Amino acid sequence: MREVNNALVEAQNLVKQVSSPEGTLTILDGVSLSIVAGEAVAVVGVSGSGKSTLLGLLAGLDTPTSGTVHLNGVDITELDEDGRAQVRADSVGFVFQSFQLLTSLTALENVMLPLELAGRSVPERDAKAELARVGLGERLHHYPSQLSGGEQQRVAIARAYVAKPRILFADEPTGNLDAQTSHHIVELLFSLNDEYNTTLVLVTHNPELGERCQRSFELEGGMLRGKA
Amino acid sequence: MKIWSIALRSLRREWRGGELRIVALALTIATTAVVSVASFGDRLHQTLARQGSELLGADLVVHVQAPPKSDWIVRADELGLRHARVESFRSVVVAGEYTQLAEIKAVENGYPLRGILRIADSLESIDRPANGVPDPGEVWVDAQLLTQLHLNIGDSVDLGKQRFKITRLLTLEPDRGGVAFTMAPRLMLNLEDLPATGLVQPGSLVHYHWLVAGSEQQIQVFKDWMLARGLLDTDLRDASNAQPRFRVALDRGESFLLLATLVSVLLAGIAIARSVRHYAQRQWDNAAVMRCFGARQNEITAIYVTQLLVLALAVSLLGAALGFLGQQVFVNILSGLVAGELPLPTWRPVALGVAVGVITVIGFGLPPLLRLKDVPPLRVIRRDLGVLPVRARLVYGIAFISFAVLVIWTAKQIGLILWVLGGTVATILVLSGVSLILIRLLARSRASVHVSWRFGIAAIARHARSSTSQIVALGIGIMAILLLTMVRADLWEQWQISLPPDTPNHFLINIQPDQLSEVESFFEQQGLVSRPLTPIVRARLISINGRTVDPEDYRDGFARRQVQRAANLSWAEELQPDNKVVQGKWWSSEQFKDGLLSVELGYAEALGLKLGDELVYRIGDKELSVAVSNYRTVAWDSFRPNFFLLVPPDLLTEFPSSYITSLYLPREQNAKIREIIERFPNITDIDVDALLGQVRRVLNKVNTALQFIFVFTLGAGLVVLWAALTATRSERRKEIAVLRALGARSADLRLGLIAEFVVLGSLAGSVGAFAAAVTGWGLSKFLFELPYEANIVMWFVGVLLAVLLVVSASYLAIRADLKTPPWQSLRESD
Repeated sequence: MREVNNALVEAQNLVKQVSSPEGTLTILDGVSLSIVAGEAVAVVGVSGSGKSTLLGLLAGLDTPTSGTVHLNGVDITELDEDGRAQVRADSVGFVFQSFQLLTSLTALENVMLPLELAGRSVPERDAKAELARVGLGERLHHYPSQLSGGEQQRVAIARAYVAKPRILFADEPTGNLDAQTSHHIVELLFSLNDEYNTTLVLVTHNPELGERCQRSFELEGGMLRGKA
Repeated sequence: MKIWSIALRSLRREWRGGELRIVALALTIATTAVVSVASFGDRLHQTLARQGSELLGADLVVHVQAPPKSDWIVRADELGLRHARVESFRSVVVAGEYTQLAEIKAVENGYPLRGILRIADSLESIDRPANGVPDPGEVWVDAQLLTQLHLNIGDSVDLGKQRFKITRLLTLEPDRGGVAFTMAPRLMLNLEDLPATGLVQPGSLVHYHWLVAGSEQQIQVFKDWMLARGLLDTDLRDASNAQPRFRVALDRGESFLLLATLVSVLLAGIAIARSVRHYAQRQWDNAAVMRCFGARQNEITAIYVTQLLVLALAVSLLGAALGFLGQQVFVNILSGLVAGELPLPTWRPVALGVAVGVITVIGFGLPPLLRLKDVPPLRVIRRDLGVLPVRARLVYGIAFISFAVLVIWTAKQIGLILWVLGGTVATILVLSGVSLILIRLLARSRASVHVSWRFGIAAIARHARSSTSQIVALGIGIMAILLLTMVRADLWEQWQISLPPDTPNHFLINIQPDQLSEVESFFEQQGLVSRPLTPIVRARLISINGRTVDPEDYRDGFARRQVQRAANLSWAEELQPDNKVVQGKWWSSEQFKDGLLSVELGYAEALGLKLGDELVYRIGDKELSVAVSNYRTVAWDSFRPNFFLLVPPDLLTEFPSSYITSLYLPREQNAKIREIIERFPNITDIDVDALLGQVRRVLNKVNTALQFIFVFTLGAGLVVLWAALTATRSERRKEIAVLRALGARSADLRLGLIAEFVVLGSLAGSVGAFAAAVTGWGLSKFLFELPYEANIVMWFVGVLLAVLLVVSASYLAIRADLKTPPWQSLRESD
């Protein structure tokens, strides 16, 4: 374990290859980047440029073919799946394009989940407070199927912030929403980010989202083009 | 041709998808179960049909309550017929300290006239056709008797007053027959030796068979001559009506076992319905693309129906092959009950298996596939476009009709069909209701449990309908197993407890009138408390109100049996305490010589008798006319000698009779029975304990056969579970991935999944135990009239069994999904 400057997330020479019937396909080709605590950065690029793959690797949801990722000072590429799960439970939150709420649990139970998995005390009180913060204090016991797309994404945001993660990864958080709802979600995401001083890494096509970030990484053909 | 090749290609490709494998597995289980039972039944039926005359050991058997008359013999000789006498009865065989009730058969030289008697020199040697019958002074016995008396060939046994040497082992008697369900072991002796044993006295319970053989024409002439002599059709048995009781019993048994297998077929159908529905949904894209490229609606239908039928045919044939092996299990389980060599099964059971397979697949799987033709081609652009699901009423309706077709085919009798269909629907509805209530109750408690358990409970509650079908399917399997093991044992125990401690355990029959005072004083000397000695006269019912009795007139099997054979008449001055007159009047002392008849209520109802009906009985060669004067109820479980038919005490004095009594003897005093038999060799002891032991052994074998069938039921229940797991697989993979993303460790995930399956298993086990308890309660209250105590252990066993099955089976099915990288699952689900 080593500290890498001030960086909360540090990737070095990340390569991701997959085998396909046509031979080996390189999705990411030697990507290196560094994100410091409290920053909000966007990863942008055309479809198939490798944005989501990069996010998956940075968050430890997938493993690279070669290269390293340090998350909160820990080399997660050295860890096994349970080790990475521990790092995520301690310091990472997620928001997904398709919300990824568990359909069999209510809004409240979905938000309580990360707290319970991390073994925190009084998860119910914190989860209720977080849902109230995203404006869903009245819909605690609704199931995902009983909520609109915007409401589901707000539950997902409450779930992402409730455990007070140091870093939050968001994969196209407004990709499945209309323009007006997107705007509300962007506001919510950034206001909570400010409030909790979270580091935000998001993959997006949405120019409004990109503009709100301090920096952007643009991917093209699996390589970083330049840093803003 | 195009459709055929597209269908087959796509079948090959989709085989990997999972749903079609579930369909195949469910269908394999269903057809294997059906073909196992059907081929076993087929082999028994073939034996019966092929052996017509051999089963009788003759072309014609004259069965009356006396040896053949001399003019019959003269006439048979005139016609050039061969004939032989056979007399059979039950008696005790003694070998040193061992005694055994056996079926004694005394045969005349020449027996059997048709078919072959087979014998062996020892238990180990190969059998061969016998050349004749036992010589005087010798007996042949079957393996059962040899074993039970701890004897070898060459040893001696006592039968009545005589001692005999065992010279051969009997392996096959044609008229027992080639196939027979047998209770008591067999001893065969030469008819010449019978008088010396002193076992047969006037009025003894003996079956007289006179075997006759010749050409078809000679037999017909002789038969007509005998009928003209006043014999009844039922006295004369030929190949056409050989073993009618056995044939009926076999038909019933086969139909019952097949109905039991239909439970597996029904569960398999549920699994098929579920899997095909999911499969059809996955085919929406393919159907849309095919439509886009010009496939017509009926071509889409043809492709998918072809696929399903090819699969059904192939799998049913596989099931038939496995069923062919499975029927050998029945032969093994029921060995001892079924004697003799069985021919190989015919193609009939295979055809039945294939028909069941195809009907099940069509009935349960077709509706969602028929909808694929309605998938709009526009779905290639707008993926949200699909088809409306088939209306539930239609799906259930078609499934019910196809199940009904199978039940009607199997049960054949309208009453039974209605019972089975009604019972199935009611059971499924009640158990579904119980499951739903349990799921609701559990869902309420989920806030107060650990997150893993909550997740498990939530998953079950969320898919309440699918969970219910899994719970009910597994619950039915568990119920069947519990009924056949624990409930059965409990009932048997309750029944034994319910009997008073001094319930008679020995019946002594064939006591001669001139032995009465001697027997009574012997009992007194020995300090034996016996019930009163009761007389019996064997009588054959020949007419009711002037109309000749024909067994064919009775649909009720019990009634038919009663008129086919000789009835036991007894007489009494007063009503026994365990009898009660419910209609009409008991006779007064002035009526002791009158032709009156008291009939047991159930017997009267079965034969449709009314007060005042005139019944004519033939006893020996005389006739007796009596009028029904009252109906009685009888407490049969008092184990006293009791009779369906009673007459006044002085009516039967001129007819040959024997006496019967019952007594209670503790096991350790069994030597007294031996003394009785030694002193009065013609008396036969029927050991009720031993008889119950024999009944129990037969029941155990049938029970094992049923358990074998219900293993298929449990298997089909597990396939319903697999079908549900396969259908929810992508959802589950997504959930696992989300939990992983939120920081769940492998142990958390495993615990969550195991929690879900433990809850599911507990519910299925509880539902199964509940159903078994209710059935047990119903059986004991209404059928056996015994008190029933709920068995709490049964609940534990049911739940434990179900939890073990569900957890291990489900965990195996989804283990791989725990290892998929979370990012991959999340991307797939987008």
